[in-house]
Amino acid sequence: MHAPDYQGSHIGRSILSLRRDQAASASASTAAAAAHSMEPHHRDASTQELELEVFQRQVADRFLELSSASADDLLSLAWVQKLLDAFLCCQEDFGVILFNNRVNVARSPAAERLLAEFYERSVKALDVCNAIRDGIEQIRQWQKLLEIVICALGNRRSLGEGQFRRAKKALIDLAIAMLDEKDSSTTIGHRNRSFGRNNASRDHRSIGHFRSLSWSVSRSWSAAKQIQAIGNNLNAPRGNEIAATNGLAVPIFTMGVVLLFVMWALVAAIPCQDRGLQVHFSVPRQFLWAAPIISLHDRIIEESKKRERKNACGLMREIYQIEKYSRVMSEMVDSVNFPLMEEKEGEVRQRVQELGQVSEVVNEGLDPLERQVREVFHRIVRSRTEGGSCSST
Amino acid sequence: MEKSPAPENDSDEIKDAVASPHSPTVDASPPEVLQEPPEAEENEVVEDSNAEEPDLTLPQVWEEIDAFLGRNSDSPRDGGESNSDSDPIEIPRAVELLSKNVESMIDKYALDAGRSKFGHDPEEDSCFFGSVGRLSKLADKIGDLKPTAENANVLRSSSLNRTSSVLQQAMSFLEEEFRAILDEDSKTGRDDSDPKSAKTKHSSSFNNCCSQESDRCNLPEPEPPSTEEEFQQFTPETISVMSKIADAMICAGYETECCVLWMMMRRRAFKSALSERGFDVLSIDDVQRMQWDSLEREIATWIAAVKRCSTILIPGEGALSGSVFSGQPEIAQDLYGNLARSVSIRLLDFAEAVVLTQRSAEKLFKFLDMYETLQDLIAAVDGSKQYPDDPKKKEVRAEMMAVKGRIGEAAVSIFCQLESSIKSDSSKVPVPSGAVHPLTRYTMNYLEYACEYKDTLEQVFQQHHDKAVVETANGEPTDDADSSAMKASPFSVQLLTVMDLLDANLDMKSKLYKDPSLRYIFLMNNGRYIVQKIKGSSKIHELMGDTWCRRRSSDLRQYHKNYQRETWYRLLQCLNHEGLQVNGKVSKPVLKERFKSFNAMFDDIHKTQSTWVVNDEQLQSELRVSISAVVTPAYRSFLGRFNQYLDPGRQSEKYIKYQPEDIESLVDELFDGNPTSMGRRRT
Repeated sequence: MHAPDYQGSHIGRSILSLRRDQAASASASTAAAAAHSMEPHHRDASTQELELEVFQRQVADRFLELSSASADDLLSLAWVQKLLDAFLCCQEDFGVILFNNRVNVARSPAAERLLAEFYERSVKALDVCNAIRDGIEQIRQWQKLLEIVICALGNRRSLGEGQFRRAKKALIDLAIAMLDEKDSSTTIGHRNRSFGRNNASRDHRSIGHFRSLSWSVSRSWSAAKQIQAIGNNLNAPRGNEIAATNGLAVPIFTMGVVLLFVMWALVAAIPCQDRGLQVHFSVPRQFLWAAPIISLHDRIIEESKKRERKNACGLMREIYQIEKYSRVMSEMVDSVNFPLMEEKEGEVRQRVQELGQVSEVVNEGLDPLERQVREVFHRIVRSRTEGGSCSST
Repeated sequence: MEKSPAPENDSDEIKDAVASPHSPTVDASPPEVLQEPPEAEENEVVEDSNAEEPDLTLPQVWEEIDAFLGRNSDSPRDGGESNSDSDPIEIPRAVELLSKNVESMIDKYALDAGRSKFGHDPEEDSCFFGSVGRLSKLADKIGDLKPTAENANVLRSSSLNRTSSVLQQAMSFLEEEFRAILDEDSKTGRDDSDPKSAKTKHSSSFNNCCSQESDRCNLPEPEPPSTEEEFQQFTPETISVMSKIADAMICAGYETECCVLWMMMRRRAFKSALSERGFDVLSIDDVQRMQWDSLEREIATWIAAVKRCSTILIPGEGALSGSVFSGQPEIAQDLYGNLARSVSIRLLDFAEAVVLTQRSAEKLFKFLDMYETLQDLIAAVDGSKQYPDDPKKKEVRAEMMAVKGRIGEAAVSIFCQLESSIKSDSSKVPVPSGAVHPLTRYTMNYLEYACEYKDTLEQVFQQHHDKAVVETANGEPTDDADSSAMKASPFSVQLLTVMDLLDANLDMKSKLYKDPSLRYIFLMNNGRYIVQKIKGSSKIHELMGDTWCRRRSSDLRQYHKNYQRETWYRLLQCLNHEGLQVNGKVSKPVLKERFKSFNAMFDDIHKTQSTWVVNDEQLQSELRVSISAVVTPAYRSFLGRFNQYLDPGRQSEKYIKYQPEDIESLVDELFDGNPTSMGRRRT
C-alpha cells in the first residue's frame, strides 16, 4: 500500500495514518496466511465506528483552528497556506478510511455511488487548482512591479525625478494589472486620464499581456460555475444511506464539504477567471465541523462585501495591502515637487518600506503556496487513481 | 558635415568613438539630425549657460564623463566623504551635454517610425548605448554625492533630476523597442502551415486497423524531422540588438523591467506557437466529458505539441535567452527555467486529465504513445546541456516522471483488462464451420499491435512489478529466491497469462462442437492463427520464446493426427482386406457392401467437410495432402486388387463410383466453406 507522503507543515501526523502504518507493517511481518486475519473486513465494528468518529473530530479541530484566525490573519497568505494544509491532512485521513474500509465499499453499491460522486467533484477541483496557479502567477507579476517601485525609490541614494517617473510607470502598470477583468473596460479610461500623453495604447496592450498569463483553463471557463458544479447535489446523507454504507456516507459527505469549502475559499482569495462567491452551503449543524466552516464562510462573505473590497480581484489580505499601499504611493508620487524636500523624501522612504514589507511577504509566500496547490492537485489525482474508480473493471 | 568612417566593429564602441578624429560635435543632437537643417549647424551650440564655451565632441564628452566617474569612484566612499562634502561639487558641463545627446538621439530614433530603431547605423547605435551606459552611471554617481553646502545641493539635485529623468526616458524607450522587437516576432514568426499537419506516427488507431480483415497493422514510419519546423528565428542582428538593450537595461538597474517584459512576451509567443498547431487549453473537466474519438484527436495534437516543444521550442527558447542575456547567465537561466517550467506544467496537465478518463482497451495505444512522448521529453530535458543544476529543471523533471508513471500504470491496468475480457467471453454458440473465433482474432491482433510497443510495455510492466514488490515487501529487504535475472520479464509473464487464458477459453469453446473432427479443425484453425501471428511478429515471438512456439506446433500436429483418426481411419476400415474372403474366396456381396459403404461414407465426409473452413491456405493444403496420402493409395490398391471380382460394365459402374484421381480431386474440395461443391460435382 502506498502511503501518502505529504510532508508539509502538518498540524501533527494523524492518528489514523499511524494506525494504518501499524496495520500495514503488522500484516507484512506476519506470514501470508496469518495476514488474512488482518484484512480490514474482520476489524470489529467498534474499531470502524471509532475511526469514523475520530475523523469527524479531526476535521472539526482543523477548521476550528482555521476559524480562530483574527480578522487580520483571515485570508492572509499564511492563512491560505494553513487552509491547504488542513485540506491535505483531511484528504490523507479520508484516504486511510477508504483504504481500511475498501471491502465495505466494494460491498455497498450505495457507498460506491457516493464515492464515485465524490471523485467526480474532486476532478472538478483540479481545474480550480490550475486556475489558482495562474492566479498565483498573476500575483507574482504584481510583486515584480512592486519590486520596480521599491528598486526605484528604495535605494540609499538621493532620489531624483527620474526615479519617481520610473516608480510611477510601474505603479500605473500595477494598477491596470490589478483591475478585475469584469470592470477593466470601464475603469481603464478613467485611470488613463491621470497619466496623459501616449500612454493609453501601451497600457491597453499590457493588460492583454497580463491576461495572457492564464492559460490553464479555456476562455469560457468560469471559477464561479466550477465551484457550483463541485457543490451540486452535495447533500447530507440520510439515515438509510448511512446504514446502507456502513456509516461511510458521513466521511464521504464530510470530505465533499471540505473540498467545496476549500476550493471556494481559494477562489475567494486568489484572482482567477470569472470569480464568484455564490455557492449553496447546506450543512446541518449537528456535524462537529459545521460550525467553524459556516463561520468561516460567513466571515469571508462579509469580507467580500466591504466597500473597499467589493471590486477586488481577490480577497487575500496581501492583495488588499498591495492595492492600498500602491495607491497611497501613487498619490504621493503624483504630489511630489522638485527639488525634493527632505521631509518629503523621508515620507516616501517610509511608504517604500511599507510596500517592501508586503512585497517580501508575497515574494516569500508565493512559491510555497504554489507548491501546495500543486500538491493538492497531485493528491486529488492520486486518490482518484488509487480509488480505482476510473478503471472500468 | 562629413561622417567619420564608421568602424565596423562596434564592440569597442567607446574606444572607437573616442579615437575617431572626426567625431561629431555634441550640440544638442547627433550629427545626422543636424544635417537636415544644415544652416543651423553652425549656430547649434549648447545653449544656456555654456553658450560661450567651445563645443565638445561626443568622444570629448565621454572622456570628461569617464574622468568624472573615475575620480569619484576612485576615492573610497567613507574616506572620500570629507572630499565630497567639503569640495564644492563640480558637475562638469559634459553632464548636461550627455543628457542632451541622449535626449536628441531618442528623438531622432523616434522619427524612424515603424520599423525597428536599431541596427541601421552601427556607429550611431554604439554612440547611443555608450551614452546611455554613462548616463546611468552618472545618475548613480550624482545620487551618491552628499554635499553639505546649500547651493551645491541645489546644483546636485537639479543635475540628478535631469540625468535620472533622461535615463528614465531612455529606459522607457529601450523597453518599448524591446517590446516591439519581441512583438514583431509573434506577428511575423508564424508560418501558416496547416495547424493539424503535425501528426503522430501511429496515425491509425487499433480499431481502424482491426476492422480491416487483413490483420496486419501497418504502422507508418516516423516522419523524418521536417526542416520547416524550426524555432522562430531572430536574425543574429536582431539578437545582438536585443542583447544590447538587455545589457543596457540591466546595467542601469532596470533588470526587473527587462525580465518582466521578457517573460510576458516570450510566454505569449510560446502560447501562440502552440495554439497555431492546434494545441489549445482544455480544462480537465472538459477532457473527462469528451468522446473518445475527439479525445483521440486531441491526444494526437498534444503529442505533436510536446514533440515540438521538446525538439524545437524549449531548446530554442534556451538558446534565445542564452544569447540575448549572454552577459548574465543567471538571468538567462532564471528566465528560461521559469518559462520551460510553466509550459511543461501546462502540457502535463493535459496528460493528467487524459489518465483520469474512463479506461478502455482501445485507449491503450494512445496512452502508450503519450508515454513514449513523455519519455522523449524527459530525455530532451536530461540531454539539454543548458543549466544542468537548475532546481526548476529538477522539479519539472520530477513532475514529468510522475505523470509518465501514472500513464504507465494506466496502460498496465488497461492491458490487464484483456484478461478479464477473455475470461468473460463465454458465448455458447460455436463459430460455424470451425473457423477462427473472433475472440482469437481480437486478442491476437490486440497483442500484435501492442507488441509494436514492446519496449514500452516491458518498461511499464517492469515498473509496475517493481512497485508492487516494494509495496508488498513494505520496506523490508526483498530476497526473493526467484528474483534472478533469468526470470521472464513481467510483461512476457503477462503475455503468457493472456495466452493461457485464451487457450483455456478456446478449449472450452471447442467442446461446443459435437463432431470431434470439427472440434479438431476448430482447434487447428485457431491454433494455427495464433502461431502464425506469433511467427509473423518477431516481437511477440521473442517474448513468448521458442519453447512455447515449439509446444504450440506440436499441439497442432496432435490435433491433426486426432482429426485424421476421427475422420479418415474410420473410412479406411472399409478398405481393409480382412474379412473379404470367405472360405478362401473373395466374397462378392461383402465386396459390394464394402464399396457401397466406402462410397457413402466418403460422400458424407465430402459433403460435410467441404463446408468446413480452414482459413490458412497452407494448413488447408497440408490437410488435403495428408488426407490424400492416406486415402488415395489405400483406395488405389484396394481397387487394383479387387476390381477384377466385379463384373465389368454394369456392376463395376455401380460399385466403383470413384477412380483414385476422383478421390484426390474431391479431397481438394474439402475445407472450402463451400456447401454446393458436392452438387456441382455430381452433375
